[in-house]
Amino acid sequence: MSAAPHLNRRALLAAGVAALALRGAPARAQAPDLRLATVDWALLETLLGMGISPVAAAELVLFREVAVEPPVPASVVDIGLRGAVNFEALRLTRPSLILSSNFYGWMEPKLRLIAPVETLSIYRTGRPPYGEAEAAAMAIGALTGREDAARALIDAVAGQIDACRQRLAAQAGRPLLVLNLGDSRHFRVFGADSLFGEVIARLGLANAWGERTFYAASAPLGLEALARFPEAFLVILRPVPPDAARVLATSALWNALPNIRARRFAVLDSVDPFGGLPTAARFARLLTAALLEGGSGNGGGLG
Amino acid sequence: MAELALPRPTGMRPLPFGLALSALGLGLFALVLMRRPDLPGAAFDLDELLLWHSLLPRAATALLAGAALGLSGALLQRVLRNPIADPSTLGIAAGAQLALTLALAFAPALLALSREGTAFAGGVAAVALVLALSARRGFEPVTLVVAGMTLSLMAGALSAALILVRGDYVFALFIWGAGSLHQQNWEPAQLIGTRLALAAGATFLLRRPLGLMALDDAGARSLGMAVQGMRLAVIAVAVALAASVVSEVGVIGFVGLAAPALARVAGARRPDAVLLAAPLIGALLLWITDSLVQLTAGNGGDLIPTGAAVGLLGGPLLLWLLPRLRAAAPPLSVPATPRRRWRRPGRALAGLAVAALLAGLFALVAGRDLDGWALATGPLLTELLAFRAPRVVAAAAAGGLLGAAGAIMQKLTGNPLAGPEVLGVSAGAGVGLAAALLLAPDAGPGLLLAASAGGALGALLLVLAIAAATGFGAEKLLLAGIALGCMALAILSAFFAAGGPGSFLLLAWMAGTTDRVDLMQAAILAACALLLLLPVALAGRWLSLLPLGAGVAGSLGLRVAASQLLLTLLAAAMTGVAAFFVGPLSLVGLIGPHLARQLGLNRGAVFVFASALIGALVLLLADWLARMVAFPYQLPTGLLAALVGGPYLIWLLQRGDRHG
Repeated sequence: MSAAPHLNRRALLAAGVAALALRGAPARAQAPDLRLATVDWALLETLLGMGISPVAAAELVLFREVAVEPPVPASVVDIGLRGAVNFEALRLTRPSLILSSNFYGWMEPKLRLIAPVETLSIYRTGRPPYGEAEAAAMAIGALTGREDAARALIDAVAGQIDACRQRLAAQAGRPLLVLNLGDSRHFRVFGADSLFGEVIARLGLANAWGERTFYAASAPLGLEALARFPEAFLVILRPVPPDAARVLATSALWNALPNIRARRFAVLDSVDPFGGLPTAARFARLLTAALLEGGSGNGGGLG
Repeated sequence: MAELALPRPTGMRPLPFGLALSALGLGLFALVLMRRPDLPGAAFDLDELLLWHSLLPRAATALLAGAALGLSGALLQRVLRNPIADPSTLGIAAGAQLALTLALAFAPALLALSREGTAFAGGVAAVALVLALSARRGFEPVTLVVAGMTLSLMAGALSAALILVRGDYVFALFIWGAGSLHQQNWEPAQLIGTRLALAAGATFLLRRPLGLMALDDAGARSLGMAVQGMRLAVIAVAVALAASVVSEVGVIGFVGLAAPALARVAGARRPDAVLLAAPLIGALLLWITDSLVQLTAGNGGDLIPTGAAVGLLGGPLLLWLLPRLRAAAPPLSVPATPRRRWRRPGRALAGLAVAALLAGLFALVAGRDLDGWALATGPLLTELLAFRAPRVVAAAAAGGLLGAAGAIMQKLTGNPLAGPEVLGVSAGAGVGLAAALLLAPDAGPGLLLAASAGGALGALLLVLAIAAATGFGAEKLLLAGIALGCMALAILSAFFAAGGPGSFLLLAWMAGTTDRVDLMQAAILAACALLLLLPVALAGRWLSLLPLGAGVAGSLGLRVAASQLLLTLLAAAMTGVAAFFVGPLSLVGLIGPHLARQLGLNRGAVFVFASALIGALVLLLADWLARMVAFPYQLPTGLLAALVGGPYLIWLLQRGDRHG
């Protein structure tokens, strides 16, 4: 992150100006030395995507494995599991503002003992997450005085998705099924109201899954349900459980599915299903590459 | 020994009952076949492929798995002379689940090699443990089931903790935990079928010894039978059968309990007849349930997984069997001979209190910061106290409550394996929590607490009502609590299988944590602890007399039913309050009383207070370790409590086995 010092200086300057202009306004607008911490992964990647390095964030070991990008600078202190944030460690990093989301509502009273808390929720029932992710970026921009960076992130992601859309113009309207394999007999599928569902729509593709989901994946389905979508391109998200990969390789049903026979499937690298804008861009990029390659290049294997 | 004393139902004949069940099964399956979806534009014969590789193997698996579980249950019930023994009550499923979770977290290669083998090993280990724990009491029915359920709950909490810590691959485990029969090849059907055939053969060869097992051990021995060896052989067959089902298709609860019971209701009287009818009824039962699950499934997936659906049957079934369970007065509890007797137990209590106080102070001051180990003093301590104080207070108070509740339950039931868990109160709290998370995903802390309180209260009222209706014996109380716990676990597994963001929160609660308690709640919890513990001082006589059995206690002038009810309420309130704030940390409620007994503090109220203080000590230690071991990552307190206390408890009970 070579650009970080420069951006921080600008942030300081902007915050200072804002502080002068808004004397008496909410404390957050005048923080000259904003030390951000976040317990939510989607907000963490949004911050990183805006070039802001928080002082502390949760469960970085798994974040690097599941969300993969953006890279987390070594200076960010890991404050433990998202479900059991270490308040003592968080306190010792002396944040001046903590970002949280609706998933962590129960811990807010404790977080408030450490620093003011700002709740920005991307995943809520009935709200398309992509728009909420953009709104969260703008809100972070307003909180940090970095509206420019927020705008830049939003435009960059929209631009990347648009570029992907143009590269995929030949496949416009193609039906897709984004899924996770649970074991050799079950999968779950991401609906239109998930982040992936929205990105698919923005790429000009169609989500073959028409049933309702809760801003996320469906309940587990039997593998045989895949037969209902013979035309769909199957987008399988890692991780693929090792035993599923082994069993499906020799499965008569799996190998007889029209999608698998015609190699209309691809295995994508891990993407955080509850991510923010950087995840949307990552998903669009990985998906576009897979579709342009024309399906699984590795001989139908899932490994 | 308990025996099922079912009145012979008039007008019910085995054959018509079987035919009716078969007709129902066939009819439903015909509906399933008719309702197959039209496949748009399938260029080749996908439809036929689905029939041969999904629908038919699914039906075959349901039939074979049901039969295997039915046979396994019938064998276990016969050989243990226990009408409520079954693969689920003996902890096979929980053991298998824990093994799978452990493998997932630490040795994924094992799973790629053989998922089934891993689950199988876990299931067998769990049963071995349950049998070892209850051997001391001669495999007495209630003890066996209490041991099984306790082990299940512990394994469940451990699995939850591991999943939380690993945070990945969770999806697969939940599907498995709720038992789903979706198939894509014949492999599971073939495997279960082979094992079933082998077991059926073994059962046929063992039919004479099995018949003799209906006698007591002495009688069987006098007829020239090697009782223990034969018993082990039959148990091995039954467990292998159940474990192979569990490892292939996941947790399918209570078919093993239901099938033999239904066989008896349908008129099968002789042992041979039950052993023959139970597998048939089990097969039909699971097939019918699975067809119903398929028929109610929408395009969005099953409404409820098959295993959880059958599991829901388990609770009512146990309750229905309760009044028919004619148990002899439980054997008097034989406490391990205390090493010493205290002339003034008050001094020992004071010593324990000082130890707990010191542990609390230590937990407040000692810890790790971002650079390493540090003793917090001065301003840093004041700063950290805001977070440490509520946890320390909560751990001490909850530990005390659970220890005391466990002690009361043990005195009340005369059963050394009865923890506070068996009242079903914590399981009820979990269901309340799940309901709140399902209905209001954004629920705040207030609503969640209220929901879990509602669940706990509902469970308690239900257990009390059932116990009252069945004559309020200690055994009935235990079984009613266990029945409720079973149903609650089935509901929770269905909730987890559906996925959704709320499951993470519920997992955290199940794993047990003092993390969420704030200062206000800690104060309330401490006040509750004092309020609930003090009345125990007045109940010393009850606690001394009740373990002697209702007859003796009554003749000594004790109002047995009233004192039992009051003590139950007290224990339930203690458990409920603790579970409400820190989750179901059941192990503490088992360890506390056993350590107190070991110290020679096993009389009346002193026993309860000593258990409370030891419980507080144990939970303080576990909580501190949970915060420190992997800093800044906090492990669930329940995980540490299990790791610290579990092996010790097993060692203690085993030792008692030899010396008691």
